[in-house]
Amino acid sequence: MTEHSLWRFSRALHRAINDRDFRDIEALIDEDVEWALYGPIDMFPFLGARQGKDAVLDVIRQLADNFQVRRFDRESIMLGVDSAASMVRYSLTALDSNKPISLRVAQFAQFRAGKLISMRVLIDTFDLVEQALGRAIHLPKMTSVG
Amino acid sequence: MAMTVEQLNRQRVVHLLDAFARGDIETALASCTDDVYFLTHAPIDVLPHLVPRQGKQELRELWQTVWSRYSEVRYKTPHIVAEGEAVATYMHAFFKKRSNDRIVQFDMAVFYTFRGGLVAEMREIIDSYDLVQQVLEREIGPLIAGAD
Repeated sequence: MTEHSLWRFSRALHRAINDRDFRDIEALIDEDVEWALYGPIDMFPFLGARQGKDAVLDVIRQLADNFQVRRFDRESIMLGVDSAASMVRYSLTALDSNKPISLRVAQFAQFRAGKLISMRVLIDTFDLVEQALGRAIHLPKMTSVG
Repeated sequence: MAMTVEQLNRQRVVHLLDAFARGDIETALASCTDDVYFLTHAPIDVLPHLVPRQGKQELRELWQTVWSRYSEVRYKTPHIVAEGEAVATYMHAFFKKRSNDRIVQFDMAVFYTFRGGLVAEMREIIDSYDLVQQVLEREIGPLIAGAD
């Protein structure tokens, strides 16, 4: 039974981020890949949408510059023929401050011929910003409008 | 040819979303187990109605709250992945505010777990920073800077 593309991609991504070894991940990304990791790009320039392999590799290099993955736990995972969805709990270290950051991430990946052609990632970005700031953001409760 | 469990569950999620989007809360609830569990990973101190919900009555109250604030709900679902008793959807959601007809537009991921053909668990992840800004109708950045 052939290994699902997600597992190869996941191993290569973690090797790229933690070991700064980009050789495997380069081979697993399609030239025309679409990538979207939404969030406040003014605070985190590596967030946002990207098109094409070079742009995505640049994002992965920026992730490697900023974070170390200490641990990850897949809480849900669904594998389709050429697609995958997972909910993953990441424990990261922000390299500039040495702060721990804990994130729950939803990932939706699509592959063609073993290469990534689409990746959409959603994060509880409000929580991410509060962790990066190291304090809560105080806003009024939206009891009637939210 | 008989449908696979994945095809059935995928169809059930679409059915639930369609029912909710037309405001038919009871039909949407009929797709859920009596002890259905709902969890959104979002700032509940800011969006207090998004606290975890257990059971149909609590979920009914949440969905009624949403419909009391929004007059129109639409979804586009570019990605649905199903395996066994689990389905994940990536959605573009559009909610029209009753107060001023503005559209709140955000992306969300929902992970469904089925039991006996019914939804037993829903877990959502939302780009919550963007959602809060749209609901507040103001940028959060200046508020953060102002607190420094």
